[in-house]
Amino acid sequence: MKKVLAMILAGGKGERLYPLTRDRAKPAVPFGGTYRIIDFTLSNCVNSNLRKIYVLTQYKSLSLDRHIQKSWSFLNNRVGEYVYLTHAQQRINENWYKGTADAIYQNFYTIQEEKPDLVLILSGDHIYRMDYRELIDSHLRNNADLTVSTIEFDKNHSKEFGVIETNNKNRITGFQEKPARPKTIEGKPESILVNMGIYLFNTDILIKRLIENAKKTDTNHDFGKNVIPAMLKTDKIYSYSFSGRNRTNYWRDVGTIEAYYEANMDLLKNTESDSLLNSNWPNYTAEEQAPPARITGRKSRDNIQYGTVVNSIISRGCDLDNSAVKDSILSPHVTAGEYSTIESSILLDNIKIGKECSIKNAIIDKGAVIPDGTVIGYDNKKDAGLYTISESGIVVIPKNTEF
Amino acid sequence: MAKETILIVDDEKNILDLYDQELQDEGYSTFLAQNGKECLEIIKNEALDLIVLDIRMPKMDGLEAIGNIIDINNKIPIIINSAYSNYKDDFMSWAADAYVVKSYNLDELKKTIKEVLQKKKSSV
Repeated sequence: MKKVLAMILAGGKGERLYPLTRDRAKPAVPFGGTYRIIDFTLSNCVNSNLRKIYVLTQYKSLSLDRHIQKSWSFLNNRVGEYVYLTHAQQRINENWYKGTADAIYQNFYTIQEEKPDLVLILSGDHIYRMDYRELIDSHLRNNADLTVSTIEFDKNHSKEFGVIETNNKNRITGFQEKPARPKTIEGKPESILVNMGIYLFNTDILIKRLIENAKKTDTNHDFGKNVIPAMLKTDKIYSYSFSGRNRTNYWRDVGTIEAYYEANMDLLKNTESDSLLNSNWPNYTAEEQAPPARITGRKSRDNIQYGTVVNSIISRGCDLDNSAVKDSILSPHVTAGEYSTIESSILLDNIKIGKECSIKNAIIDKGAVIPDGTVIGYDNKKDAGLYTISESGIVVIPKNTEF
Repeated sequence: MAKETILIVDDEKNILDLYDQELQDEGYSTFLAQNGKECLEIIKNEALDLIVLDIRMPKMDGLEAIGNIIDINNKIPIIINSAYSNYKDDFMSWAADAYVVKSYNLDELKKTIKEVLQKKKSSV
């Protein structure tokens, strides 16, 4: 069996997720009630039996550090399983990471100590479920130097992604970075093959190409933009298609408030949530003792039945007293008082909502205390003066806001 | 034609003197440094064509120096010249253009210097 080391890039600033990333790195942003974004990638590793994992961080990593320690220390060091966090070591030179490739280059010594046959490079801010063993099998079958995981998307999305061209044997023949006029898949004129940012390298090739990249000046030190396109001439690069076969092909990069909101709401759709919230492929996260969620009361007023929850995720420790929740995701320990309504919203941990509040189309970060009678998400003009509002009108309230 | 300039980095004074003499005899001009730190200072201030780099040195060893050399100037070729061959397993040594195991007979080193400088010229 080949020895595989997983390296998860978790260093992005996540500026387009602001203010959720005001105090934490993007992979540490809570997701889907009880998880953090990075739990999905880490769970994929563990469920794929890859249990040597490094998480590469740099900015605002305290929250991520704490989460990994609390939630991922169950891996057994004695039998060579671990999740380690590595910060910019400044061992190769004195810089912060200049790009994804530079982040791995700066962590050469880690790879050297582990001596893996293959290095799997992953991103800490994607929501998906994937068995990396199939990717590894495909890589070995093709006798590849590098395998890039790809997914089919509608060609209208081409400006958001790296687009990949392949020949009929899945060998990659070209790259386009966020093209306006993408090369579509042969026989599928409406579809493109998108680079998911998941790279499986033979270790020696990875090291050689990273050194070459480090010696260049006209480069962003990025895998998708620089290192991999430069390998086309010299190395065997194959595409592993995540779409098709018998696989659920849900994959989202939750880089913006809109994408984050949509991906959360996808958990309320049966088809998507089956693939993501599935006890055969468990997502691991912090285990915390808390009472079960409680929904009490049965009053009605103005044609609204309170004490109800419709189409929502309610996490442990929530206590909803005579309130109405619809199409929403509540993290642990959210409480709400009488005659409050919560609709189409994402509420993170430890939020206290008073009585007679109306909340709609909102993302409320941890620890907010919302006084009786507060109205959020019904009047964008008014909200704009007070809170961050995303392009599509989602109101975002930062951590620990007190009104 | 101007003389090509080589920086020799080695912590042993008698090796520095020997290399200095031999390479000057070959028609190169030379700079000398006794550890990685001194080496970086010279790279920042002088125009060099090549670096001959020992690995085991005090203050900053050769492998540690390589990453920093690339960061300051990624155009100068590097030849590792160590008494030991096992550093070839160290990934950072792969960043050098050549690896010559130390010997008091300098023929191989001189030959490699010529090749690396030739390659550098032809790639410009």
